[in-house]
Amino acid sequence: MMRITLIAVGLLLAVLLPLAIPWLNFVFIMAVAQGFAALGVVLLLRAGMISIGHAVFLASGAYVTAFLLRQTGITDLGLILLVATLGSGLFGFLIGMFMVRYRAIFFAMLNMAVSMVVFALLAKLYHLTGGTDGVRVATPTVLGAVLDRTVFDSLLLYISLALLVAVGWLVHRYLSSPLGKALEAVHTNEVRLEYLGVSAWGVLLYAYTISAALAGLGGALAAIAVGHVVPELAYWTHSGQLVLIAVLGGIGGVVGPFIGALFFEIVRVVAAGYAAYTWNMIVGLALLGVIFFLPNGLYGLVQRLLKRGGGS
Amino acid sequence: MLDLLALLIVDGLADAALIFFVAVGLTLVFSVLRILNVAHGSFYSIGAYVAVSIGMWVVSAGWHPYLTFPALFLSAALVAVALGPFIERYFLRWTYGKSEALQILVTFALFLVFEDLQKLVFGVQAHYEDTPLQLLGVSDIGGIFYLNYQFLLIAMAAVTVILLRLLIRRTMIGKFIVAVVADREIAQTMGINTTRVFVIAFTVGVFLAALGGALASPTSGVAPGLGAEALVLAFAVAAIGGLGQIEGAALAAVIVGLSRAAAIHFAPDFEAVVPYLVMLVVLLIRPYGLFGTVQARRI
Amino acid sequence: MKDIVRTALGGLLLACAATTVSADDRPSELRIGVFTFLSGPAAAYGMPGRNAAELLIEQINEAGGIDGVPIVPTYVDEAQGTDGVITEFRRLASDRDVMIAALSSANCLALAPVADQLRVPTLMWNCDTHQMFLEDEYEYVYRTNSSTIPEFVSYALYLLETKPDLERVAIINPDYAFGHDAAEIFKETLQTFRPEVEIVAELYPRLGASSYHTEISRLVSARPDVVFSNLWGADLENFVRQAQPRGLFQRSTVVLALGETILQRLGEDLPEGTVVGVLGDGWWQSPTARENPDTQAFVEAYHERYDEYPVFPSFKMANSIMAMKESFERALENSGGTWPSREEFVEAVAGLEMENFTGTLRIREDNDGLVDQIVGVATPADDRPYPVIGEMVRYPADLVTPPVDEDPIAWIRSLDQDFLDQLPKPGSYQ
Repeated sequence: MMRITLIAVGLLLAVLLPLAIPWLNFVFIMAVAQGFAALGVVLLLRAGMISIGHAVFLASGAYVTAFLLRQTGITDLGLILLVATLGSGLFGFLIGMFMVRYRAIFFAMLNMAVSMVVFALLAKLYHLTGGTDGVRVATPTVLGAVLDRTVFDSLLLYISLALLVAVGWLVHRYLSSPLGKALEAVHTNEVRLEYLGVSAWGVLLYAYTISAALAGLGGALAAIAVGHVVPELAYWTHSGQLVLIAVLGGIGGVVGPFIGALFFEIVRVVAAGYAAYTWNMIVGLALLGVIFFLPNGLYGLVQRLLKRGGGS
Repeated sequence: MLDLLALLIVDGLADAALIFFVAVGLTLVFSVLRILNVAHGSFYSIGAYVAVSIGMWVVSAGWHPYLTFPALFLSAALVAVALGPFIERYFLRWTYGKSEALQILVTFALFLVFEDLQKLVFGVQAHYEDTPLQLLGVSDIGGIFYLNYQFLLIAMAAVTVILLRLLIRRTMIGKFIVAVVADREIAQTMGINTTRVFVIAFTVGVFLAALGGALASPTSGVAPGLGAEALVLAFAVAAIGGLGQIEGAALAAVIVGLSRAAAIHFAPDFEAVVPYLVMLVVLLIRPYGLFGTVQARRI
Repeated sequence: MKDIVRTALGGLLLACAATTVSADDRPSELRIGVFTFLSGPAAAYGMPGRNAAELLIEQINEAGGIDGVPIVPTYVDEAQGTDGVITEFRRLASDRDVMIAALSSANCLALAPVADQLRVPTLMWNCDTHQMFLEDEYEYVYRTNSSTIPEFVSYALYLLETKPDLERVAIINPDYAFGHDAAEIFKETLQTFRPEVEIVAELYPRLGASSYHTEISRLVSARPDVVFSNLWGADLENFVRQAQPRGLFQRSTVVLALGETILQRLGEDLPEGTVVGVLGDGWWQSPTARENPDTQAFVEAYHERYDEYPVFPSFKMANSIMAMKESFERALENSGGTWPSREEFVEAVAGLEMENFTGTLRIREDNDGLVDQIVGVATPADDRPYPVIGEMVRYPADLVTPPVDEDPIAWIRSLDQDFLDQLPKPGSYQ
């Protein structure tokens, strides 16, 4: 119950704060977008697999969005989000068929290799992708209506938050299902899992596909919010950032990555705004601080506070 | 055609020597500590910065210019002694036995901090000290000048492979390292001070990274972004060779170097992706890298 | 349903709009955002820009600011990536009056629609891409410098004059839009006038590659008459330092489009006879710059503070700050002394024509800047330990920039001998 109240308060703040401080609107959308991608990373982390290449699916969602708006007549926001998510899921399924044979550091490196090859292709195929200058993403229509951009931005935040709740709940259901539980079993003891007659390959491929779809959804939201997509979205540092967000937030639940994403965005905004010359260092120190003092991530901290609050 | 082949081989090997020094420290640290050290890129660029600074100092103090060669090694040793034990003790030791993601993130955080520290100390412009390169001059191969320093690097890389092999196979500390790599817990019960082995192995890893930067600095200089650049390349080469395999890293460096040379001569569009394409192909065929071995799965 | 959504959201928007302040009263300070690279490899280009902004703003403030209002800059690091840059832009837009943004073309293309949406006057200080104003029209976005077309057409024109019999050309540019665009423009211009020109090697090393030895072997073995490059920053410095001892400069004429930025740093290591110049007209020792006492004062103050002389990115930045100041003063004149609104300000930027440190700037009807182009040859200097630019030509902006709304590549292909005859000759700018 406490958790639901907390989520409700969080959502309410996310809706109300941007009314007073307009630029937060964008920060919150980006946090949700990054959060979806980080949630994808979390699914794999639960199975003990680190992907330093997951940004490639975020990029695929973003580029599908840009492509739909530019090359086809499709401008409806809902349809675009759906196609981008499914498209990235399909892409993830195809890549995943090869990936899930690998474990540990080799899984990480192979993901990185794929993402770097895609990054290079996005930059090279100038006539399809606009090269490194990227592609403009026009403002989609909502239920057929062409909205003023500022109105649209507010609406996009509300839609993002609604998606956060709906998709978050679905992922939560998935994680509590046998298939989701099997993920943790892959981490703790894969061989035993196979003795039980469960195919680790299947379990992981399922998770990989879902995690790619989540990243694709995040990519579509980010592309629409930013209004521009660039190949850097697929660069390995961006993937590293997603892992960072996932661990910062904590991999214990669905809410963690979103808290991590919000924290990361805020640290970056504050660091970049008040220490333009040393923001890398500040992000690094903040990261060390969280890792050393909050072993279960920020979500762990929230849970601990909740317990204390509930006990008294 | 034969000319072109000779060109390819010389270019490829010269490139491979540079690539090898980028990757060897990373792979050594991984083999012992089982940590993918992102801060490796920082040690590489710090090594280069220190080497340039000391080299300039040697030249401006009016010492014999050939002293700039030992200065390269001295710089790497300084960086290793100053940073190796400190970082192992206060940042890495805490993460042993924790998840890989956490270990990568700790070293990533260190990388970010070092990135800005270097900028604060050395500024944003490139730095150079190319006395060693000037002293050695050039050779003409098939009508094309090559720097003799490039050949020196190839020789240095070969010597490094041999020395590391000797260190690991013939010395006591090497045997300790092998024991710890094989089984940490048993090594400990046998009375091996694993803590010390870790410190030493990590410091040697930092030394190799810094040496890589120092040796590259006379020809490539050092500027912001060098660390990040070196890091991805090191990842790719180490993975191709099989993480933790010194000889594997050497062979991987040669393959990547030759492939890159071939790309530049025949298909320049692919040059930038060569390391990743090689990595994809190798890992798809040999999932644990060229020299990698399959690890037993726990039951 | 649609209407309900729209009305409801419209009401929400009105509520937000009510809280933003109108700017009729004279502010106590003029707050601006300055976007450039402060870290990473691109800082080699970004920091000279930042330094120029810092110094020039100080000088303006010491002289009383803009009609008594001091300028207060906030610097933003573009190295944090496009979404970070947009976050900062949106955040600063709430209480900054003008943005000087940005260095990277990708960032500029992403920022422009946001600037229009938030109605923030934005002066683009670098972003060379000629795509900027090609398809889209903006109300609040202006570029106070030139684009890739005049910048690289000029190098080809210079070569056509100085090496009329060139045939074999090699290109080594960085592997991103700037490098590929420049290569295309350079090739098209050469081949329009000399169809027999053959491209014998075209290399695109990735940005930030530190070793160019294999590329250099390829370039030397291709035996080109001319090697063209728009590498920059540490990449360019590395390339020259590695290529020079290996004989590339002895065998071919090398063209370094951003060569001016490394003259002071390379000193004698940059071989005499290398074709170098600036993008735009921002060379601190050009005849125009020498004649202008303000420029000399700025240059000396810059040297005093940063221990090096300004390079052309510094002047691209200075152009933008000066254009901002000039526009405010014109807007104040138009309004009879009332502090201009954002709309009155951009109205003054449109059609701006002004003198700056190194020449003139004109903003034309597509919001793009017209700036002359300087090209020359590295020549030993009597009074300095590094080469200067000799045999200079200053191509007038009107001649080397395609007309508004004309496809730039089609324009290049339409050039003819009459066009060449109108151009000033190498060595004519003294």
